[in-house]
Parts: sequence; C-alpha cells; structure tokens
Amino acid sequence: MKEFIDAIVNSLYKNLIGGDAWLVVLNGLWVTVLISAAGLLFGTIIGAILCAMRLSNNGFMRMLSKVIIAILRGSPVLLLLMVFYYVVFANSRVDAVYIAIIAFALNSGAHIAEIMRSALSAVDKKQLEAARMLGFSKFQGFMAITLPQAGRIAKPVYQNAIINLIQWTSVVGYVTITDLTRTVNNIGARTGDPFFALFLGILLYLGLSYFVYFLFSTCSKKEAL
Amino acid sequence: MIQTVDLCKSFGNLTVFKDVNIHVQKGECIAVIGPSGTGKSVLFRTMALLERPDSGQVLINGTDITRKDVNINKVREKLGMVYQGFHLFSHLKVLDNITLAPLRVKKMSKSDAEEKAMELLSMVGLTDKANAFPHQLSGGQQQRVAIARSLAMDPDIILFDEPTSALDPSMTGEVLAIIRKLARSGLTMMISTHEMGFAQDVASRVLYMDEKGVYEQGTADEIFLNPRREKTRMFIRKLKVFSYSITSRGFDMVAMNVQVELFCQKYNIESRKVYYIQLILEELILEVSRGCFNQRQLKIEYTIEFSEERNEVLVCFVYEGESFNPFETVEGTDHLGMVLIAGIAKNFGHSFENGRNIININI
Repeated sequence: MKEFIDAIVNSLYKNLIGGDAWLVVLNGLWVTVLISAAGLLFGTIIGAILCAMRLSNNGFMRMLSKVIIAILRGSPVLLLLMVFYYVVFANSRVDAVYIAIIAFALNSGAHIAEIMRSALSAVDKKQLEAARMLGFSKFQGFMAITLPQAGRIAKPVYQNAIINLIQWTSVVGYVTITDLTRTVNNIGARTGDPFFALFLGILLYLGLSYFVYFLFSTCSKKEAL
Repeated sequence: MIQTVDLCKSFGNLTVFKDVNIHVQKGECIAVIGPSGTGKSVLFRTMALLERPDSGQVLINGTDITRKDVNINKVREKLGMVYQGFHLFSHLKVLDNITLAPLRVKKMSKSDAEEKAMELLSMVGLTDKANAFPHQLSGGQQQRVAIARSLAMDPDIILFDEPTSALDPSMTGEVLAIIRKLARSGLTMMISTHEMGFAQDVASRVLYMDEKGVYEQGTADEIFLNPRREKTRMFIRKLKVFSYSITSRGFDMVAMNVQVELFCQKYNIESRKVYYIQLILEELILEVSRGCFNQRQLKIEYTIEFSEERNEVLVCFVYEGESFNPFETVEGTDHLGMVLIAGIAKNFGHSFENGRNIININI
C-alpha cells in the first residue's frame, strides 16, 4: 500500500512540480484562454456582420453571406487553421497565435451568425410592430424589443458554442502553438508517465467550461431579480 | 379626425378592398363588422400605414400621412392600436410595458411615466399585477394591459382590431367593459368586432364590410334593426339561404326534396318545419304549374331563408307569367293545398311586379 502511494506522489512530483512544470502548464492554459477569448470576441463581431448581411434586403448580400457561412461551417476548423498557417500566411512572419485567432474567429463567426439568425426569427414580430405603433422608429424598436428577446433565446446555444470553441482550440498544436493540450502532452512525453499530466489537462478544460457556465448563470440570475 | 379617401389595397391579385371612404369624427366610436376575411384587419393596418395602400389617402387631422415626407413615427404616437393577440413585450414586466414608450419616445421622466402607468393600471383594474410578467397573466388581463399600454401615449384615436376574438367567453366581458368605459369617456375609437351586442350598444356608427369595401353603414340601430342591403341582412340576422330554380315541367321533384332536406339538416331546422317547407313547395309548384298552363315555359325560382337568431323560415317563391294569385279562390277548383298553406304559415302574401309573381311565406 505504502509503495502504491509513494509511486503516485513520485509521479505527481515528476510531472508537475519538478522543474516548475506547473508554470509551463499555466502558460499553456493562458494561450488556450487567449485564443478562445479573442476568437470569441472577433467571432461574435463577424457573426453579427454575417447575420446582418443574411437578413438584409439586398439579394447579393444575402447570397454572399449564405455562401460564406456554408463554407466556414462546412469545413473542419483544423483544416481552416492549416490553410491559414501553411497557405495564406505561409510567407509572412505573423505569430501563429494570431493566425489561430483568425481561423477560430471565422469558424465560430459562421456558427454564431446562424445562432443569431435563428434567435432573431424566433422573436414575435408583432411585438416590434406594437412598438412601432407606439411611435418607436425601426432601430429603436429593434434595440428595445427584438434584441433583448433574441439575446434571451440565443443564450443557451451561444454558451454551447463558446464551450465548443474552447475545446476545439486544442488542435492548435498542429501549427506549432504550445497551448494547454500541447503542454500536458509534452510533459507526459518527457516523463514517460502521462497519466497525471493528461488528467490535469482534462480537469483544466473542465474548469474552463464550468467557468463559462458560472458566468452565464450569474448573468441570468441578475436578470431574474 | 381620421379620414380615408378612395383607399385601395390588394395583395397580388387579391383585392382586399377598394375605394374605401371613411370619416371618423372626434369622439366617435365606430364599430366595423362583417364576415371574416373581408378586410377589417387589413383596413386598420392600412390606416396605420403598417401596410402601404395601393392608392388613396389617409388623412389625420387634415394631413395626408401616405406622403413620403411625413414622419410616420410621429404620426403613430397619436395613433393607438390594440391587437387580437395582445402582443405585450414578453421580456418586460407589466409596468415596464406601459412606461417603455413614454420613456423612450416621449422622453418623459421615470417618476412621471410610472405614476401615469399606475393610474392607467388602476383604470383597467390591474394595479396588483404591475410587477408580473405578461405570461403570468390571463388573456383578458393581458388585453387590458395592452389597452393601458396604448393609452399611455395619449393617442387621439385607438384602433381595436378584434380585441376579444382570442379570448374565451369568460374573459371577453372584462375587456369589453374597459372599452365601453373608454367610449363613454369620449375617446375616439374604431373597433372591429364579432360581438354584435357590444357593437350595437357602444358604437355611434357601424360599418358593415363586405364585397371588398364598406357595404353598408349607418347608426347602430339602422344597421342592426333595419339593415337595408341583402348581405347585411343575411349577416345581422344570421340568415342561411337555399335557392333553387325550376325551368321545365319535367323537373326532378325527388332530387329537389333531398336537397332541401340536406340544407335543413345542416342548420338543424326542426323536422316539423322541414315537412312544412316541403309541403308548401310541392303545393305551390303544383298550383303554379297548373295555373300557368297556358304558358309554354315554366320559370320558378325560390329561396328558403333560415334565421338562426329568430328560428324562423322565410320561403320566397317567384314565378314569371301573368299575375296569378293561387290564394284567391276560383269557383269550382280544388284548393285544398292553398288552404293547408294558409293554415301552416305565420303569415303570407302575394305581390306582382314586372311580370313576376312573388309569394312570401313565413313559417
């Protein structure tokens, strides 16, 4: 029994504490968070633009955004990432992290555009009309009635999209970025005892996901009050 | 106050209404009635410019609001609308539903807006629901909030588009009571409704819509007690009509009787009356074809009108030819049929004009 516990303690030490391995893990975590957060921010902006184009009265704009969304949603994010890394930015000195941010922003942008569109079309249009009858302009009515309601409808789906995004960033190791997944993999390879390192990785991703859940749930609690 | 001039609206090939001329004076309460699908809702929506009219004008206090340079948002501040489906802002509490427009559009202060909203809520009897969300209210309560919401902007006129049609009968009363109160307070309003009793009671003027326009209009008593035109009568008295024409002596009496019977069954006319109707028709047809023996061509048309409201049947029997009244006894002929009819009918009469004999029999 004592031997078993010793082995565990030893393995834990080798993997995480010896040589300040935990600092390397934190660094990887930071890269993952950075790519996810920036990807989400720009993805939301791109999503809003694509959604506006998709719902515009201009036939060309509608068609264009349809095509863009179809391509971005239809291609695996890893391939998109590789295209940007090995083709588009092949000869430039742009940092791989920025390239990853661009790829994830585009991919999540297409998904978010569809989330926004379905949420907007789920809002009762007669309520906007009722607001217009009270003297609201089109824009005022949209801001006061349609947007808050669409936001509510989109929230759970948006939350899922964020968690999806975070987990998909684990593929950035393919283009030389040392994110959380790459880090724990490296440590495991170095020590030849990957159990603790990989398990810690899973725990950290889980922690990130729960952090997102936590943010959203405190948000809705405030609304309910 | 509000006036339409030759207003026309169609969707594609379907003309909803054309050349509608309505003039609503300040303080009037106009009821718009008519069968479903005759354009009552579209008329209201077109008057609020929620639908662009194909041609014609909508004048509010003399200004034509269909012109491009009119700020429609400003116009709509003074034009309220209450919908069949309430359409309260579902993400806002009742109080916020009412204060939203005064705050954002009129830029009223928050305390003023809330004070006014509470006044309106007490008027519709819902002060204790101020902090509830719309989905927590019953249909009748939601509609009352919707009325308060549109009153919050102090509109010059409110258009009520079938305000009680989505409510179950136990709730229509509370909503109608509020509308009645508003009408009495002198608010100008137009209300499209299927509540005939209410319309008769409240409206200063009634428009009957049919045949792609305003078919007949008049005071409530004129429309409800003495409708002049055919379709209005049919609508007000809830008449069901069956018509049939006979052009040859060899017509199929049995088939005709089956059709009459089917018609009667459809509207639940009691079997004694059905028997009477058939008896009257048979006797009249026999008598008339015998009386018009010298004519080569037989031409008889009749309609059976059944009024659900009064549970009364009117048989209107028309035949061409010389003036011939089968009820006038002629010596030496057998008039048993006519005696029978005279016994059955509540009243009956014969008239003759332009070569047409008309017999009306009430059962």
